Amino acid sequence: MDDFTVSLRAGDDLAARHGLDDPFAAAIRATRMSMIVTDARQPDLPIIFANDAFLSLTGYARDEVIGRNCRFLQGTHTDEGEVARIAAAIREGRDVACDILNYKKDGTPFWNALFVSPVRGEDGDIHYFFGSQIDITEKKKAELQVLESRRDLEAAVATRTRDLSRALEQKTALLHEVDHRVKNNLQLISSLLMLQVRKAGDPQIKQALRGMLERVNAISTVHRRLFQADDVQRFDVAEFVRDLVNDAVGASGRTDIVVRMNLERVDVNASKAAPLALVINELLCNCLHHAFPQGHNGHIDITIAREGANFRVEIADDGIGMNKASADQPPCFGLNVVKLLCQQLKADCETTDAQPGVRTTIRLPVNGVH
Amino acid sequence: MGQKNPLSVLIVEDEVLLATELEYLVEEAGCRPVGHAMSSDEAVALASQLQPDLALVDVHLQDGPTGVEVARAIAHDCGGVALFMTANVRRLPEDFAGACGVIGKPYSEHGVRSALSFLTACLHEGRAPGPAPAGLELAPAWAQRWGLDQMAQAS
Repeated sequence: MDDFTVSLRAGDDLAARHGLDDPFAAAIRATRMSMIVTDARQPDLPIIFANDAFLSLTGYARDEVIGRNCRFLQGTHTDEGEVARIAAAIREGRDVACDILNYKKDGTPFWNALFVSPVRGEDGDIHYFFGSQIDITEKKKAELQVLESRRDLEAAVATRTRDLSRALEQKTALLHEVDHRVKNNLQLISSLLMLQVRKAGDPQIKQALRGMLERVNAISTVHRRLFQADDVQRFDVAEFVRDLVNDAVGASGRTDIVVRMNLERVDVNASKAAPLALVINELLCNCLHHAFPQGHNGHIDITIAREGANFRVEIADDGIGMNKASADQPPCFGLNVVKLLCQQLKADCETTDAQPGVRTTIRLPVNGVH
Repeated sequence: MGQKNPLSVLIVEDEVLLATELEYLVEEAGCRPVGHAMSSDEAVALASQLQPDLALVDVHLQDGPTGVEVARAIAHDCGGVALFMTANVRRLPEDFAGACGVIGKPYSEHGVRSALSFLTACLHEGRAPGPAPAGLELAPAWAQRWGLDQMAQAS
């Protein structure tokens, strides 16, 4: 008797015990889920029963499957590891479930959600193995697609990140280059002015040139400060005032003028930095040059304080006062600059007689001008 | 301070106008300008010939960003002290190439004068007379040599 006949007979024996009126047998024959039974007591577990669903799933005829081990469903891309896992479970008489790539009779691959379970007789020995198969090809395809599109997306993100980092590097290099050039050009301008101050004979021309030099220095101080901070968009007014006072008072050589600073930290947008710096420079230099004639010592008080949405810059001296100071001076270009820049900054500028001395108060919105 | 023994100063700067003005400032600070170089070769040759006490070194010279190597050569081979004057403070190496510090451009007259009189005192006494003036950033090694780290701790 060949394998096929033995298996056919074993199948018939099984069927004989479950006649047409056995609802369990009827259910297994007719269900849409693919099912097979293999004979555990024959060598190499041949199939002895396959339902119609199995035949329609795999494309084989019944007489092509009866008597054969199910490995005929395996093919080129079937995972050897999964096959070994199923074999081990069968050897040990355990249930096993796995997703495995199988092939139909016409060679079409399909993903099979396989479940195999031993069937024991009353003696406790394994008589049969029962197997069910579900075609999960569509689900696997969708999973693979998700995986692939995720891989594509990750690759695209990596490329984009690389491009952006490169662009950022270029932008940073460019920013450094521009910063470098601005600073060098400011240096060139101030060196030119210093040279001309030396050559100028007329004291009035000398004084005018000094005034310009002070203004260029104020802008230079802004640029030194602007790029020191990590945030190039913000400008710390208090830090600037400290630098400016140190430089302007030091340059004046007036050790008899004491500058007292009461500075709250206020950041303004970088675009406001230069005009604001020029305003503060004019007011400070005005005090230094005009409030205290030689031999007249005194104080300059500089205050920066927040007042709600505004902040206040106040520069006050206890010098000789407005009338005396302005009477013997030509109309002041510096104060004209202050007036114009305050318009630009949308700032209020008020000068009052502080008796003694002069107090100038500037109020400007912190976030008004961008 | 500089009357008895003024520092001899070499200026290494490729912008002639800056160098000319700087010579005035050096003189006014009580130092003695001894030469001016515009390229790295010239700078190293002048430094070994003149052996200046101090070399004011721009990073970008006529032959490129060679100022850092000039400073290194001056510190190692000529026994002089280099001080950078550059707009690119952030690009200097961490060890300042052996230079004692940097004045950032754009500098002011007052900034350069106070830095020079501070350095004159440091080089004569081997010790800082006080904290470095604003505008002058010292290299960590030199700040330590001139006792500024102790001063910082004490204050």
